[in-house]
Amino acid sequence: MILVSFDIDGTLEEGDPPGILTMDFVRQVKGEGLLVGSCSDRPISAQRALWARHGIDVDFAVSKHMLGEVKASFDAEVYYHIGDREDLDKRPAEQAGFRFLWPHEAVAMPWTKTGSVRP
Amino acid sequence: MARGGRAAMSTPAPASVYRSGEGLGLWEHRGKVAAVGIGHSPTARRWDGKPANSVGGISLAALRGAIEDSGVDPADVDGLVMDPTTTTGAFWPQGKPLPWDAINAYERTDDPLDGITRLSAEWMLKNMPELTGVQFTRYGMGCMSSAICVAAQAVGDGRTHTCLVLKSWHNLEGRYYQGGANAGNAIPGSSAIRSLWGTPACFGTAVQFAEYCRKYGKSHDMMAPFIENSRNNGLKFPEGYWAQHRPEEITPEDYKAARWIAKPANLFDNDMPIMVSAAYLFTTAERARQLKQKPVYILNHASSRTRPRSLTPTLDEVEEDTARTARKIYEGAGITAADLSFENMYDGFALFHQFHIEGLGYRGIKFGEALDFYQTDISIGGPNPVSPSGGNIGCGRSRFWMHTDCIQQIQRRASSRQVTGVKPEVAVSGGPMPLGGNFTVWSSTPG
Repeated sequence: MILVSFDIDGTLEEGDPPGILTMDFVRQVKGEGLLVGSCSDRPISAQRALWARHGIDVDFAVSKHMLGEVKASFDAEVYYHIGDREDLDKRPAEQAGFRFLWPHEAVAMPWTKTGSVRP
Repeated sequence: MARGGRAAMSTPAPASVYRSGEGLGLWEHRGKVAAVGIGHSPTARRWDGKPANSVGGISLAALRGAIEDSGVDPADVDGLVMDPTTTTGAFWPQGKPLPWDAINAYERTDDPLDGITRLSAEWMLKNMPELTGVQFTRYGMGCMSSAICVAAQAVGDGRTHTCLVLKSWHNLEGRYYQGGANAGNAIPGSSAIRSLWGTPACFGTAVQFAEYCRKYGKSHDMMAPFIENSRNNGLKFPEGYWAQHRPEEITPEDYKAARWIAKPANLFDNDMPIMVSAAYLFTTAERARQLKQKPVYILNHASSRTRPRSLTPTLDEVEEDTARTARKIYEGAGITAADLSFENMYDGFALFHQFHIEGLGYRGIKFGEALDFYQTDISIGGPNPVSPSGGNIGCGRSRFWMHTDCIQQIQRRASSRQVTGVKPEVAVSGGPMPLGGNFTVWSSTPG
Protein backbone atom coordinates (compact mmCIF):
# COMPACT_ATOMS: atom_id res chain seq x y z
CA MET A 1 0.00 0.00 0.00
CA ILE A 2 1.16 3.52 -0.82
CA LEU A 3 -0.02 6.61 1.06
CA VAL A 4 0.07 10.01 -0.62
CA SER A 5 -0.37 13.27 1.30
CA PHE A 6 -1.09 16.45 -0.63
CA ASP A 7 -0.31 19.97 0.43
CA ILE A 8 -2.94 22.35 -1.00
CA ASP A 9 -1.72 25.93 -1.43
CA GLY A 10 0.90 26.14 -4.15
CA THR A 11 0.48 22.44 -4.90
CA LEU A 12 -3.09 21.77 -6.05
CA GLU A 13 -4.94 23.75 -8.69
CA GLU A 14 -7.42 24.74 -5.98
CA GLY A 15 -4.61 26.21 -3.90
CA ASP A 16 -3.87 29.83 -3.14
CA PRO A 17 -1.69 30.28 -5.15
CA PRO A 18 -2.79 27.55 -7.55
CA GLY A 19 -0.37 24.68 -8.03
CA ILE A 20 0.10 22.42 -11.04
CA LEU A 21 -1.69 19.32 -9.75
CA THR A 22 -5.30 19.02 -10.82
CA MET A 23 -8.09 17.56 -8.78
CA ASP A 24 -8.38 14.97 -11.53
CA PHE A 25 -4.82 13.99 -10.73
CA VAL A 26 -5.78 13.39 -7.10
CA ARG A 27 -8.88 11.52 -8.20
CA GLN A 28 -6.77 9.33 -10.44
CA VAL A 29 -4.28 8.58 -7.67
CA LYS A 30 -7.14 7.67 -5.39
CA GLY A 31 -8.55 5.51 -8.16
CA GLU A 32 -5.32 3.56 -8.25
CA GLY A 33 -6.20 2.32 -4.80
CA LEU A 34 -3.71 4.44 -2.88
CA LEU A 35 -4.40 6.01 0.49
CA VAL A 36 -4.87 9.71 -0.22
CA GLY A 37 -5.39 12.82 1.88
CA SER A 38 -4.29 16.36 2.60
CA CYS A 39 -1.86 17.86 5.02
CA SER A 40 -2.18 21.63 4.83
CA ASP A 41 -2.21 24.83 6.82
CA ARG A 42 -5.83 25.33 5.83
CA PRO A 43 -8.35 24.67 8.58
CA ILE A 44 -9.17 20.99 8.73
CA SER A 45 -12.84 21.75 8.17
CA ALA A 46 -11.92 23.72 5.04
CA GLN A 47 -9.82 20.83 3.76
CA ARG A 48 -12.73 18.45 4.22
CA ALA A 49 -15.05 20.91 2.50
CA LEU A 50 -12.65 21.19 -0.42
CA TRP A 51 -12.53 17.43 -0.93
CA ALA A 52 -16.28 17.10 -0.53
CA ARG A 53 -16.83 19.84 -3.10
CA HIS A 54 -14.84 17.80 -5.60
CA GLY A 55 -16.38 14.49 -4.64
CA ILE A 56 -13.12 12.97 -3.52
CA ASP A 57 -13.40 10.69 -0.52
CA VAL A 58 -10.03 11.17 1.15
CA ASP A 59 -8.60 9.01 3.88
CA PHE A 60 -7.32 11.89 6.00
CA ALA A 61 -7.26 15.68 6.22
CA VAL A 62 -4.95 17.11 8.84
CA SER A 63 -2.90 20.14 9.77
CA LYS A 64 0.57 20.60 8.40
CA HIS A 65 2.44 19.39 11.43
CA MET A 66 0.46 16.16 11.77
CA LEU A 67 2.21 13.99 9.19
CA GLY A 68 3.64 11.86 11.98
CA GLU A 69 0.14 11.12 13.22
CA VAL A 70 -0.91 10.15 9.71
CA LYS A 71 1.99 7.73 9.48
CA ALA A 72 1.06 6.23 12.81
CA SER A 73 -2.58 5.86 11.77
CA PHE A 74 -2.13 4.13 8.43
CA ASP A 75 -0.17 1.00 7.61
CA ALA A 76 1.58 1.55 4.29
CA GLU A 77 4.78 0.44 2.66
CA VAL A 78 5.68 3.90 1.41
CA TYR A 79 4.53 7.33 2.55
CA TYR A 80 4.74 10.34 0.23
CA HIS A 81 4.06 14.00 0.89
CA ILE A 82 3.75 16.32 -2.10
CA GLY A 83 4.29 20.03 -1.45
CA ASP A 84 5.82 23.25 -2.66
CA ARG A 85 7.81 24.50 0.32
CA GLU A 86 11.24 23.49 1.55
CA ASP A 87 10.57 24.60 5.12
CA LEU A 88 6.91 23.75 5.49
CA ASP A 89 6.65 20.61 3.36
CA LYS A 90 9.96 18.92 2.55
CA ARG A 91 11.64 19.22 5.92
CA PRO A 92 8.70 18.17 8.12
CA ALA A 93 7.80 15.40 5.69
CA GLU A 94 11.24 13.91 5.86
CA GLN A 95 11.32 14.33 9.63
CA ALA A 96 8.06 12.37 9.84
CA GLY A 97 9.48 9.54 7.75
CA PHE A 98 7.78 10.49 4.50
CA ARG A 99 9.38 10.64 1.10
CA PHE A 100 8.99 14.13 -0.29
CA LEU A 101 7.98 15.03 -3.84
CA TRP A 102 7.74 18.39 -5.50
CA PRO A 103 4.54 18.64 -7.60
CA HIS A 104 6.44 18.23 -10.87
CA GLU A 105 8.09 15.10 -9.51
CA ALA A 106 4.77 13.65 -8.43
CA VAL A 107 3.37 13.56 -11.94
CA ALA A 108 6.27 11.37 -13.03
CA MET A 109 5.70 8.70 -10.41
CA PRO A 110 4.76 5.25 -11.68
CA TRP A 111 1.48 5.34 -9.76
CA THR A 112 0.26 8.31 -11.79
CA LYS A 113 -0.87 8.71 -15.35
CA THR A 114 0.34 11.54 -17.48
CA GLY A 115 -2.05 14.13 -18.81
CA SER A 116 -3.61 15.19 -15.55
CA VAL A 117 -1.29 18.09 -14.97
CA ARG A 118 -2.58 21.61 -15.23
CA PRO A 119 -0.92 23.38 -18.20
CA MET B 1 -2.50 74.86 -8.22
CA ALA B 2 0.71 72.87 -8.01
CA ARG B 3 -0.90 69.73 -6.75
CA GLY B 4 2.17 67.55 -7.00
CA GLY B 5 4.52 70.19 -5.68
CA ARG B 6 2.41 70.91 -2.66
CA ALA B 7 1.89 67.24 -1.88
CA ALA B 8 5.62 66.59 -2.18
CA MET B 9 5.99 68.62 0.98
CA SER B 10 3.92 66.09 2.91
CA THR B 11 5.44 65.18 6.21
CA PRO B 12 4.48 62.96 9.09
CA ALA B 13 2.19 64.61 11.58
CA PRO B 14 4.07 65.96 14.59
CA ALA B 15 3.77 64.14 17.91
CA SER B 16 1.74 67.02 19.28
CA VAL B 17 -1.19 66.07 17.04
CA TYR B 18 -1.75 62.85 18.95
CA ARG B 19 -3.55 62.94 22.28
CA SER B 20 -1.14 60.72 24.13
CA GLY B 21 -1.11 62.34 27.55
CA GLU B 22 -3.42 61.81 30.49
CA GLY B 23 -5.52 64.56 32.00
CA LEU B 24 -6.18 66.40 28.74
CA GLY B 25 -9.87 66.71 29.47
CA LEU B 26 -12.57 66.58 26.85
CA TRP B 27 -11.30 66.67 23.29
CA GLU B 28 -11.78 70.24 22.14
CA HIS B 29 -13.38 69.04 18.88
CA ARG B 30 -15.60 66.40 20.45
CA GLY B 31 -18.55 65.75 18.13
CA LYS B 32 -17.43 68.40 15.64
CA VAL B 33 -15.80 65.99 13.18
CA ALA B 34 -17.64 63.21 11.37
CA ALA B 35 -16.97 60.29 9.08
CA VAL B 36 -19.42 60.08 6.23
CA GLY B 37 -17.99 58.06 3.35
CA ILE B 38 -16.25 54.73 3.00
CA GLY B 39 -14.40 53.26 0.04
CA HIS B 40 -12.76 49.86 -0.14
CA SER B 41 -10.77 48.24 -2.91
CA PRO B 42 -11.18 44.58 -3.71
CA THR B 43 -8.73 42.33 -1.87
CA ALA B 44 -6.13 39.93 -3.23
CA ARG B 45 -3.62 37.65 -1.63
CA ARG B 46 -0.75 39.11 -3.64
CA TRP B 47 -0.21 41.63 -6.41
CA ASP B 48 -0.75 40.03 -9.82
CA GLY B 49 1.39 42.57 -11.68
CA LYS B 50 -1.52 44.37 -13.30
CA PRO B 51 -1.40 48.19 -12.97
CA ALA B 52 -5.00 48.49 -11.78
CA ASN B 53 -4.27 46.03 -8.97
CA SER B 54 -1.07 47.71 -7.80
CA VAL B 55 -1.19 49.39 -4.44
CA GLY B 56 -1.50 52.71 -6.25
CA GLY B 57 -4.31 51.41 -8.42
CA ILE B 58 -6.33 50.00 -5.56
CA SER B 59 -5.80 53.17 -3.56
CA LEU B 60 -7.31 55.22 -6.34
CA ALA B 61 -10.31 52.89 -6.29
CA ALA B 62 -10.71 53.23 -2.53
CA LEU B 63 -10.46 57.02 -2.55
CA ARG B 64 -12.92 57.38 -5.40
CA GLY B 65 -15.21 54.96 -3.60
CA ALA B 66 -15.18 57.08 -0.46
CA ILE B 67 -15.88 60.24 -2.43
CA GLU B 68 -18.80 58.65 -4.24
CA ASP B 69 -20.14 57.06 -1.08
CA SER B 70 -20.19 60.34 0.76
CA GLY B 71 -21.71 62.25 -2.15
CA VAL B 72 -19.21 65.10 -2.14
CA ASP B 73 -17.95 66.80 -5.24
CA PRO B 74 -14.28 65.78 -5.68
CA ALA B 75 -13.45 69.43 -6.12
CA ASP B 76 -14.67 70.08 -2.58
CA VAL B 77 -12.05 67.75 -1.09
CA ASP B 78 -9.34 69.90 0.42
CA GLY B 79 -7.36 67.44 2.55
CA LEU B 80 -5.62 64.09 2.27
CA VAL B 81 -4.20 62.19 5.23
CA MET B 82 -2.57 58.85 4.60
CA ASP B 83 0.15 56.43 5.57
CA PRO B 84 2.92 56.30 2.96
CA THR B 85 4.09 52.85 4.06
CA THR B 86 2.17 49.96 2.54
CA THR B 87 3.83 46.93 4.09
CA THR B 88 5.56 45.67 7.15
CA GLY B 89 7.29 42.78 5.42
CA ALA B 90 6.93 42.62 1.63
CA PHE B 91 9.74 44.56 0.01
CA TRP B 92 10.78 44.72 -3.63
CA PRO B 93 13.65 42.25 -3.92
CA GLN B 94 17.04 43.77 -4.63
CA GLY B 95 18.05 43.13 -8.22
CA LYS B 96 14.57 42.19 -9.39
CA PRO B 97 13.63 44.16 -12.52
CA LEU B 98 11.22 46.97 -11.80
CA PRO B 99 7.64 46.54 -13.08
CA TRP B 100 7.84 49.33 -15.63
CA ASP B 101 4.52 48.51 -17.27
CA ALA B 102 2.74 49.19 -14.02
CA ILE B 103 4.96 52.11 -13.07
CA ASN B 104 4.40 53.85 -16.40
CA ALA B 105 0.67 53.20 -16.36
CA TYR B 106 0.35 56.12 -13.93
CA GLU B 107 1.77 59.56 -13.40
CA ARG B 108 5.08 58.96 -11.64
CA THR B 109 7.06 60.63 -8.93
CA ASP B 110 10.84 60.54 -8.64
CA ASP B 111 10.60 57.17 -6.90
CA PRO B 112 9.70 54.43 -9.41
CA LEU B 113 8.32 52.18 -6.67
CA ASP B 114 5.94 54.90 -5.53
CA GLY B 115 2.53 53.32 -6.17
CA ILE B 116 4.04 49.84 -6.17
CA THR B 117 5.58 49.22 -2.75
CA ARG B 118 4.92 52.58 -1.13
CA LEU B 119 2.62 55.49 -1.65
CA SER B 120 3.13 59.22 -1.45
CA ALA B 121 0.51 61.93 -1.30
CA GLU B 122 2.22 63.36 -4.35
CA TRP B 123 1.59 60.15 -6.30
CA MET B 124 -2.04 60.05 -5.23
CA LEU B 125 -2.73 63.63 -6.26
CA LYS B 126 -0.88 63.32 -9.56
CA ASN B 127 -3.21 60.46 -10.40
CA MET B 128 -6.43 62.04 -9.18
CA PRO B 129 -6.78 65.14 -11.33
CA GLU B 130 -10.33 65.55 -10.10
CA LEU B 131 -8.96 66.57 -6.68
CA THR B 132 -8.37 70.18 -7.64
CA GLY B 133 -8.80 71.67 -4.20
CA VAL B 134 -6.44 69.74 -1.94
CA GLN B 135 -4.37 72.19 0.07
CA PHE B 136 -3.59 70.05 3.12
CA THR B 137 -1.73 66.75 3.09
CA ARG B 138 -0.22 64.95 6.05
CA TYR B 139 1.08 61.50 6.89
CA GLY B 140 -0.31 59.48 9.75
CA MET B 141 2.42 56.92 10.07
CA GLY B 142 1.91 53.24 10.71
CA CYS B 143 -1.68 52.44 10.04
CA MET B 144 -5.20 53.74 9.56
CA SER B 145 -5.57 54.16 13.32
CA SER B 146 -2.87 56.80 13.19
CA ALA B 147 -4.17 58.48 10.03
CA ILE B 148 -7.63 58.78 11.57
CA CYS B 149 -6.26 60.68 14.56
CA VAL B 150 -4.34 63.04 12.30
CA ALA B 151 -7.31 63.65 10.02
CA ALA B 152 -9.77 64.12 12.89
CA GLN B 153 -7.50 66.66 14.53
CA ALA B 154 -6.88 68.46 11.23
CA VAL B 155 -10.60 68.79 10.49
CA GLY B 156 -11.25 69.90 14.05
CA ASP B 157 -8.46 72.47 13.86
CA GLY B 158 -9.90 73.84 10.63
CA ARG B 159 -6.90 72.90 8.49
CA THR B 160 -9.18 70.97 6.14
CA HIS B 161 -12.94 70.75 5.99
CA THR B 162 -13.35 67.76 3.65
CA CYS B 163 -10.56 65.29 4.18
CA LEU B 164 -9.83 61.91 2.65
CA VAL B 165 -8.14 59.37 4.91
CA LEU B 166 -6.30 56.54 3.22
CA LYS B 167 -4.48 53.36 4.19
CA SER B 168 -3.30 50.75 1.71
CA TRP B 169 -1.41 47.49 1.87
CA HIS B 170 0.50 45.62 -0.78
CA ASN B 171 1.74 42.06 -0.76
CA LEU B 172 4.15 40.46 -3.18
CA GLU B 173 4.96 36.90 -4.07
CA GLY B 174 7.43 35.20 -1.78
CA ARG B 175 7.75 35.09 1.95
CA TYR B 176 6.82 37.95 4.23
CA TYR B 177 9.49 39.47 6.50
CA GLN B 178 12.30 37.82 4.49
CA GLY B 179 13.25 40.86 2.42
CA GLY B 180 14.15 44.48 3.03
CA ALA B 181 16.41 45.10 5.99
CA ASN B 182 15.95 41.52 7.12
CA ALA B 183 17.80 40.31 4.04
CA GLY B 184 20.85 42.41 4.86
CA ASN B 185 23.94 41.54 6.84
CA ALA B 186 23.42 44.21 9.47
CA ILE B 187 20.51 46.05 11.03
CA PRO B 188 20.91 49.12 13.22
CA GLY B 189 19.54 49.45 16.72
CA SER B 190 17.45 47.02 18.69
CA SER B 191 15.92 45.68 15.48
CA ALA B 192 19.07 43.59 15.18
CA ILE B 193 17.96 41.57 18.17
CA ARG B 194 14.38 41.29 16.98
CA SER B 195 14.98 40.72 13.29
CA LEU B 196 18.49 39.65 12.41
CA TRP B 197 18.53 36.79 14.91
CA GLY B 198 14.83 37.00 14.94
CA THR B 199 11.88 35.23 16.32
CA PRO B 200 8.51 35.18 14.54
CA ALA B 201 6.70 38.51 14.67
CA CYS B 202 4.15 37.14 17.14
CA PHE B 203 6.79 36.05 19.62
CA GLY B 204 6.48 39.02 21.94
CA THR B 205 2.72 38.67 22.13
CA ALA B 206 3.11 34.93 22.67
CA VAL B 207 5.38 35.58 25.65
CA GLN B 208 2.85 38.01 27.12
CA PHE B 209 0.02 35.56 26.55
CA ALA B 210 1.95 32.72 28.17
CA GLU B 211 2.46 34.86 31.24
CA TYR B 212 -1.21 35.85 31.15
CA CYS B 213 -2.27 32.20 31.16
CA ARG B 214 0.12 31.41 34.02
CA LYS B 215 -0.97 34.40 36.08
CA TYR B 216 -4.70 33.88 35.67
CA GLY B 217 -4.89 30.12 35.23
CA LYS B 218 -6.18 30.27 31.64
CA SER B 219 -5.37 28.23 28.56
CA HIS B 220 -4.81 28.81 24.87
CA ASP B 221 -7.83 26.64 24.05
CA MET B 222 -10.00 29.30 25.68
CA MET B 223 -9.25 31.56 22.70
CA ALA B 224 -11.17 29.27 20.36
CA PRO B 225 -14.56 31.02 20.68
CA PHE B 226 -12.94 34.37 19.94
CA ILE B 227 -11.27 33.04 16.80
CA GLU B 228 -14.44 31.31 15.65
CA ASN B 229 -16.48 34.46 16.27
CA SER B 230 -13.95 36.65 14.48
CA ARG B 231 -13.90 34.51 11.36
CA ASN B 232 -17.68 34.21 11.38
CA ASN B 233 -17.97 37.99 11.53
CA GLY B 234 -15.32 38.36 8.84
CA LEU B 235 -17.23 36.07 6.53
CA LYS B 236 -20.09 38.56 6.83
CA PHE B 237 -17.80 41.42 5.78
CA PRO B 238 -18.14 41.56 1.98
CA GLU B 239 -15.10 43.82 1.72
CA GLY B 240 -12.86 41.27 3.44
CA TYR B 241 -10.40 38.80 1.98
CA TRP B 242 -11.85 35.62 3.44
CA ALA B 243 -15.40 36.55 2.43
CA GLN B 244 -14.25 37.35 -1.10
CA HIS B 245 -11.85 34.51 -1.77
CA ARG B 246 -11.91 31.70 0.74
CA PRO B 247 -15.09 31.50 2.79
CA GLU B 248 -13.58 29.20 5.39
CA GLU B 249 -14.70 29.01 8.98
CA ILE B 250 -12.26 28.31 11.78
CA THR B 251 -13.95 25.87 14.13
CA PRO B 252 -12.63 25.21 17.63
CA GLU B 253 -11.33 21.89 16.29
CA ASP B 254 -9.47 23.69 13.49
CA TYR B 255 -8.01 26.18 15.91
CA LYS B 256 -6.81 23.65 18.43
CA ALA B 257 -5.25 21.52 15.68
CA ALA B 258 -3.24 24.35 14.11
CA ARG B 259 0.53 24.29 14.29
CA TRP B 260 2.43 26.54 16.62
CA ILE B 261 4.21 29.57 15.22
CA ALA B 262 5.63 30.69 18.57
CA LYS B 263 3.96 28.59 21.23
CA PRO B 264 1.44 29.49 22.61
CA ALA B 265 0.67 31.46 19.43
CA ASN B 266 -0.55 29.24 16.64
CA LEU B 267 -1.16 29.78 12.95
CA PHE B 268 -4.67 31.15 13.39
CA ASP B 269 -3.60 33.61 16.04
CA ASN B 270 -1.72 35.30 13.21
CA ASP B 271 -3.26 37.27 10.37
CA MET B 272 -2.53 36.90 6.67
CA PRO B 273 -0.95 39.66 4.54
CA ILE B 274 -3.09 40.78 1.62
CA MET B 275 -3.52 43.55 -0.94
CA VAL B 276 -6.21 45.99 0.15
CA SER B 277 -6.96 49.67 0.46
CA ALA B 278 -9.56 51.62 2.40
CA ALA B 279 -10.48 55.27 2.48
CA TYR B 280 -12.81 57.37 4.56
CA LEU B 281 -14.14 60.86 4.08
CA PHE B 282 -14.09 63.08 7.15
CA THR B 283 -15.72 66.46 7.35
CA THR B 284 -17.11 68.91 9.83
CA ALA B 285 -20.28 68.04 11.67
CA GLU B 286 -22.08 70.89 9.92
CA ARG B 287 -21.11 69.78 6.42
CA ALA B 288 -21.73 66.14 7.26
CA ARG B 289 -25.40 66.76 7.87
CA GLN B 290 -25.81 67.83 4.22
CA LEU B 291 -24.21 64.70 2.78
CA LYS B 292 -25.52 61.38 1.57
CA GLN B 293 -24.65 59.13 4.51
CA LYS B 294 -25.53 59.38 8.17
CA PRO B 295 -22.69 61.17 9.96
CA VAL B 296 -20.67 59.18 12.46
CA TYR B 297 -19.27 61.66 14.93
CA ILE B 298 -15.84 61.39 16.46
CA LEU B 299 -15.94 61.97 20.19
CA ASN B 300 -12.23 61.57 20.80
CA HIS B 301 -8.94 60.23 19.60
CA ALA B 302 -6.28 59.02 21.99
CA SER B 303 -2.86 57.46 21.65
CA SER B 304 -0.40 55.33 23.56
CA ARG B 305 3.26 56.20 23.21
CA THR B 306 4.51 54.24 26.20
CA ARG B 307 7.93 52.71 25.74
CA PRO B 308 8.59 49.40 27.47
CA ARG B 309 11.64 48.99 29.64
CA SER B 310 13.00 46.29 27.37
CA LEU B 311 12.44 44.85 23.91
CA THR B 312 9.22 43.06 24.77
CA PRO B 313 6.72 44.66 27.12
CA THR B 314 5.95 42.62 30.18
CA LEU B 315 2.40 41.65 31.05
CA ASP B 316 2.49 44.16 33.89
CA GLU B 317 3.48 46.92 31.48
CA VAL B 318 0.76 45.87 29.05
CA GLU B 319 -1.94 45.94 31.69
CA GLU B 320 -0.78 49.22 33.12
CA ASP B 321 -0.78 50.84 29.69
CA THR B 322 -4.09 49.49 28.39
CA ALA B 323 -5.72 50.82 31.54
CA ARG B 324 -4.03 54.18 30.99
CA THR B 325 -5.17 54.21 27.35
CA ALA B 326 -8.74 53.52 28.42
CA ARG B 327 -8.66 56.45 30.83
CA LYS B 328 -7.49 58.70 27.99
CA ILE B 329 -10.13 57.36 25.62
CA TYR B 330 -12.98 57.86 28.08
CA GLU B 331 -11.85 61.20 29.44
CA GLY B 332 -11.51 62.84 26.02
CA ALA B 333 -14.82 61.42 24.82
CA GLY B 334 -16.69 62.19 28.01
CA ILE B 335 -17.95 58.63 28.29
CA THR B 336 -17.48 55.57 30.44
CA ALA B 337 -17.14 51.90 29.59
CA ALA B 338 -20.87 51.54 30.14
CA ASP B 339 -21.53 53.76 27.14
CA LEU B 340 -19.89 51.38 24.66
CA SER B 341 -22.36 49.60 22.42
CA PHE B 342 -19.60 47.32 21.19
CA GLU B 343 -15.84 47.23 20.87
CA ASN B 344 -13.60 46.90 17.83
CA MET B 345 -10.09 46.87 19.23
CA TYR B 346 -7.29 45.44 17.12
CA ASP B 347 -6.60 41.74 16.85
CA GLY B 348 -3.61 41.10 14.69
CA PHE B 349 -2.31 39.18 16.76
CA ALA B 350 -5.39 37.61 18.24
CA LEU B 351 -3.63 36.95 21.50
CA PHE B 352 -3.52 40.61 22.49
CA HIS B 353 -7.16 41.45 21.85
CA GLN B 354 -7.99 40.55 25.45
CA PHE B 355 -5.38 43.02 26.71
CA HIS B 356 -7.15 45.82 24.86
CA ILE B 357 -10.65 44.98 26.08
CA GLU B 358 -9.60 44.27 29.66
CA GLY B 359 -7.92 47.67 29.73
CA LEU B 360 -11.16 49.19 28.47
CA GLY B 361 -13.15 47.34 31.10
CA TYR B 362 -15.56 46.41 28.34
CA ARG B 363 -18.77 45.11 29.93
CA GLY B 364 -17.10 45.39 33.29
CA ILE B 365 -14.46 42.73 32.69
CA LYS B 366 -11.28 43.02 34.69
CA PHE B 367 -7.75 41.85 34.00
CA GLY B 368 -7.68 38.10 33.64
CA GLU B 369 -11.38 37.78 32.80
CA ALA B 370 -11.54 38.19 29.02
CA LEU B 371 -11.03 34.53 28.17
CA ASP B 372 -13.91 33.58 30.46
CA PHE B 373 -15.91 36.34 28.75
CA TYR B 374 -15.13 34.70 25.40
CA GLN B 375 -16.95 31.58 26.59
CA THR B 376 -20.20 33.59 26.76
CA ASP B 377 -22.24 35.01 23.85
CA ILE B 378 -19.89 37.47 22.14
CA SER B 379 -21.66 37.31 18.78
CA ILE B 380 -23.16 40.19 16.84
CA GLY B 381 -26.59 38.95 17.88
CA GLY B 382 -25.88 39.03 21.59
CA PRO B 383 -25.69 41.76 24.20
CA ASN B 384 -21.88 41.84 24.30
CA PRO B 385 -20.48 41.93 20.76
CA VAL B 386 -16.74 41.38 20.57
CA SER B 387 -14.91 42.47 17.42
CA PRO B 388 -17.98 42.58 15.18
CA SER B 389 -15.73 43.50 12.28
CA GLY B 390 -13.97 40.15 12.54
CA GLY B 391 -10.75 42.14 12.48
CA ASN B 392 -7.62 40.90 10.78
CA ILE B 393 -8.44 37.34 11.81
CA GLY B 394 -11.75 37.52 10.00
CA CYS B 395 -10.81 39.66 7.02
CA GLY B 396 -7.03 39.67 6.42
CA ARG B 397 -4.25 42.01 7.44
CA SER B 398 -5.24 45.63 7.09
CA ARG B 399 -5.52 47.09 10.57
CA PHE B 400 -8.63 48.97 9.43
CA TRP B 401 -11.58 46.59 9.41
CA MET B 402 -12.47 47.70 12.93
CA HIS B 403 -12.77 51.32 11.86
CA THR B 404 -14.87 50.58 8.80
CA ASP B 405 -17.08 48.38 10.94
CA CYS B 406 -17.64 51.05 13.59
CA ILE B 407 -18.72 53.52 10.92
CA GLN B 408 -20.92 51.01 9.11
CA GLN B 409 -22.50 49.70 12.32
CA ILE B 410 -23.41 53.16 13.52
CA GLN B 411 -24.70 54.07 10.06
CA ARG B 412 -26.67 50.82 10.22
CA ARG B 413 -25.32 49.55 6.95
CA ALA B 414 -23.19 46.66 8.14
CA SER B 415 -25.38 44.24 6.15
CA SER B 416 -25.53 40.76 7.67
CA ARG B 417 -22.87 41.80 10.16
CA GLN B 418 -25.10 44.43 11.74
CA VAL B 419 -25.23 44.06 15.50
CA THR B 420 -28.71 43.17 16.64
CA GLY B 421 -28.32 42.59 20.36
CA VAL B 422 -27.40 46.20 21.09
CA LYS B 423 -28.21 49.61 19.65
CA PRO B 424 -25.13 50.79 17.75
CA GLU B 425 -24.56 54.20 19.28
CA VAL B 426 -21.04 54.49 20.70
CA ALA B 427 -18.05 52.36 19.77
CA VAL B 428 -14.29 52.33 20.11
CA SER B 429 -11.71 51.06 17.67
CA GLY B 430 -7.97 51.22 17.38
CA GLY B 431 -4.60 49.65 17.67
CA PRO B 432 -2.29 48.18 16.78
CA MET B 433 -0.30 47.28 19.86
CA PRO B 434 -1.34 47.46 23.48
CA LEU B 435 1.73 49.64 23.96
CA GLY B 436 1.87 51.96 20.99
CA GLY B 437 -1.48 52.53 19.35
CA ASN B 438 -4.08 55.05 18.31
CA PHE B 439 -7.74 54.87 19.20
CA THR B 440 -10.98 56.54 18.15
CA VAL B 441 -14.40 56.86 19.75
CA TRP B 442 -17.30 56.93 17.29
CA SER B 443 -20.85 58.02 18.02
CA SER B 444 -24.25 58.25 16.38
CA THR B 445 -24.71 61.69 17.93
CA PRO B 446 -22.33 64.61 18.49
CA GLY B 447 -22.47 63.91 22.19
